[in-house]
Amino acid sequence: MASPIIQATGIEKYYGTYRALSNITLSVANGEFLALVGPSGCGKTSLLKILAGFEDLSGGSLIIDGQDMAGMPASARPTRMVFQKLALFPHKTVAQNIGFPLHLAKRPKSEIDTAVRRMLELMHLKESYLNRYPHELSGGEQQRVALARSMISQPPVLLLDEPMSALDAKLKKSLQAELKHLHRHVGTSFVHVTHDLEEAMMLADRICVMRAGKIVQIGEPSEIYYRPADAFVAGFIGDTNLLPAKITRAGEGFEFSCDILQCSAPRLGADQVAAGVAAGADALLMIRPEMLRLLAPGESADCTLAGTVSEYFIRGASIQYRITVADTEIVMDVPGTSVLPAKQGDAVQLGLSLSDLFAVEA
Amino acid sequence: MAEMQKSWRDGALRLSTLPLLVLMGLFFVIPLIMTALLSFQGTQYYRLVWTWDLNVWTDVFSQIHYWKIMWRTLTMALVCTLLCTVLAIPIAYGMLHRLSRWSDQITLLMVFAFLTDAVLKTFGWVLFLDRSGVLNGTLESIGFPPAAVNVLFSPNATMIGMVYNLLPYTIFTTALSMARIDRDLVLAARDAGATRLRAFVEVTLPLAKPGIWAGAVLVFVLSLGVFLEPKVMGGGTSPLAAELIRQSFETRVNWPLGAALTLVLIVIGAAVLAVAGALAFWQARRGSND
Amino acid sequence: MTDQMEKRLADFVLYGSVIAVLIFFYIPIATLILFSFTQSRFLSWPISEFSTRWYGALLADRDFWSSLGNSALLAVLATVFATLLGIGGAFAWSRYKFRFQWGFRILTFAPLLFPQLLLGVVMLLWFSVLAGWLNLSPGLWSAVIGHVIYITPFCIVIISVQMQGYDDTLDYAAEDAGATRWQILREITLPLIWPGIFSAAIFAFLLSWGNFYITYSLSGSTRTLPTFVFSGIAVGSSPIYPALATLTFLPALVLIFAVGSLRKRAARRRLIKIAEG
Repeated sequence: MASPIIQATGIEKYYGTYRALSNITLSVANGEFLALVGPSGCGKTSLLKILAGFEDLSGGSLIIDGQDMAGMPASARPTRMVFQKLALFPHKTVAQNIGFPLHLAKRPKSEIDTAVRRMLELMHLKESYLNRYPHELSGGEQQRVALARSMISQPPVLLLDEPMSALDAKLKKSLQAELKHLHRHVGTSFVHVTHDLEEAMMLADRICVMRAGKIVQIGEPSEIYYRPADAFVAGFIGDTNLLPAKITRAGEGFEFSCDILQCSAPRLGADQVAAGVAAGADALLMIRPEMLRLLAPGESADCTLAGTVSEYFIRGASIQYRITVADTEIVMDVPGTSVLPAKQGDAVQLGLSLSDLFAVEA
Repeated sequence: MAEMQKSWRDGALRLSTLPLLVLMGLFFVIPLIMTALLSFQGTQYYRLVWTWDLNVWTDVFSQIHYWKIMWRTLTMALVCTLLCTVLAIPIAYGMLHRLSRWSDQITLLMVFAFLTDAVLKTFGWVLFLDRSGVLNGTLESIGFPPAAVNVLFSPNATMIGMVYNLLPYTIFTTALSMARIDRDLVLAARDAGATRLRAFVEVTLPLAKPGIWAGAVLVFVLSLGVFLEPKVMGGGTSPLAAELIRQSFETRVNWPLGAALTLVLIVIGAAVLAVAGALAFWQARRGSND
Repeated sequence: MTDQMEKRLADFVLYGSVIAVLIFFYIPIATLILFSFTQSRFLSWPISEFSTRWYGALLADRDFWSSLGNSALLAVLATVFATLLGIGGAFAWSRYKFRFQWGFRILTFAPLLFPQLLLGVVMLLWFSVLAGWLNLSPGLWSAVIGHVIYITPFCIVIISVQMQGYDDTLDYAAEDAGATRWQILREITLPLIWPGIFSAAIFAFLLSWGNFYITYSLSGSTRTLPTFVFSGIAVGSSPIYPALATLTFLPALVLIFAVGSLRKRAARRRLIKIAEG
């Protein structure tokens, strides 16, 4: 990896005696798309504000684009931010909003004009919008104007503070696709804060999961999804099944025992157990709902569960089942079909592959 | 966000506050202290003498004349406050919810009436209410005896003038807080079975209370210090405290007396405000415990 | 009582009270305007003959012109100072947070809680002392200071109200785009609170223009229009005052409707923003 565009080392942030961030060490490669995710209050927004320069560091160091950021005001930093509430200036036209950073830098008018038009094109905004005011645009268009304003001076780093949280689901999907496209097109590094792990997985090259002011895990989306560092990360997206189990070491790999899971050979590879899990200790087996499948009578699988359907929800592309196995409720997603594979009260056999299992610390 | 948290070393904070602080200190706080100090001095042959005694104060408290005027001032102020506060409620409500289409124009008309020269308007009242004024002249022309309404140059005329000049304050504050009430709350009360009046009493009035209180406080304070209406409309027959203060500075040139009377009036005002504040606080606390 | 009856009664009270109060407010104003056109020396009703002779008499009165000049000078100076101080005060009131903020708010609001005459008298005592030391006598300068003390709190309140809906992130967005503090103020904050500043200035001007009590106590021998009228009607009603009133109502009316339309425009812009979330 070439030298990172952002290098944060041991960042601490206190509000009075409250420790909002502790020992955050993080690097972002040039051109990378990093997502910061976590529940509200986890410190992701504080971290973003520290990167942008709206908050001071209480400890640690921050280097962006080769410069130490200590004492550098937001206005002088090589970062630009897209705000949650967009913060478009209501008294300035679209053109004035987009061109604002260049206007502040006292660039000649013709240069600003060219740059604004280029951004307009990049953002698929109509030229007739130039003289409109932000309140005359739709939510999605306002979003694009905000992006254009942040991108116009070609900053090495773009910071995004949940800019899509206020949009409806459909618009959000299309803007996410556009954002991904934009990122590939401009080559700027993006740091994107969101509480939506699904959005993060869709957009980011790497995801940084935070909790209570600490980084829990940094990794590629597939790592976060299939190899979560702990039960918190595992449970952060969707309805994950976490089954209590005992883990013991067996040669290169592990053996496990779980009351409600019948397996012919209950073994896990070395890479199927999270780092924190101690052999012989209690652990949780993570089973994503889509890894389970309904077994036809006589069909076999590495592991099976027997239970009764308590509820189901038709969700279009998939059908979600809630199945009671012993006293535990198991969630299962199966591909949607026009004929329901099972109904309420049916006794069902579920199967899954051993390779889909992953154990995390209890 | 944390940026707006300013330390006193911050240049922007200093720039925005220090000129005001200096001004208020020099021309508001120091004068108040001065006034207190002056009340302990005396006068001789229309000149101030630095005697440092309580003569003026014993004078103020021992003469029944002063007590009477202070009492009259206080009762007039309270009556005026009550009238302005009560009258403002239907006016503000009607402006907002019956004549809402015109409320901008009505507000402007009121602001205009409010902001024009009070001396002129008071004089206008004299011309209207005079024995040969518009009112009596009109009444006479339709068959009433001459000078049928003989109200000018009486305490009632003073009250008309005071209410006239101060009513806009209560209307504005009451309307402001009524306008902020979510109409759905009133609809919810109606939906729950309340009559219009019940919904008004149970929902609108309690929620408009801050504005009603603010207006009442402003009017009370301002009505303590009037001498224009008593002099021009009341004809000087029953002077109020402000007239007394004016005279002690102007005609009698007894500054220590004027200072003492000023302080008495300030203390009366502050005392009533403190009682009102305590009542409001007590009520708010009781409300939150319910 | 039936619902219909209740509604009719409520309508009667509500419509009636608004209409009644408007009539009440305009009785003296209309009276003055009517009497300004009388021919007679005596202001008695009904007016037997109309003329504009008192306008002529007023315009020929040198005291009127000097009072008018003083009123204008006083109002302009008080407006400039009170508005500038009001802008600073409003920032400190509603955009910043700092130690002793409550103290600051109370101190800068207190003059509003004083009867105007007492405010004037209290300052008069101090000015007389100052004047003795500095060898000045109270006049226009002391009236300006008095007006500024009294009017600044109004300006603070009006501008603060305008700042209520102000979105702080706009400042951050500007800073992020590379703006210095001064540029933020000039490019973003001031243009957005401009309607508030403008109405505060108009309000300040009219408050100062029509102020009687403070001018009366602080202006020494200098006369402004209100004190000129007061001293005139104290000796006996002269027929020039209705003409004076009518002439001074006009500019005030224009100013107030200017503020009205400006506020409405600003409000509409904000409303659309809210409606679109």
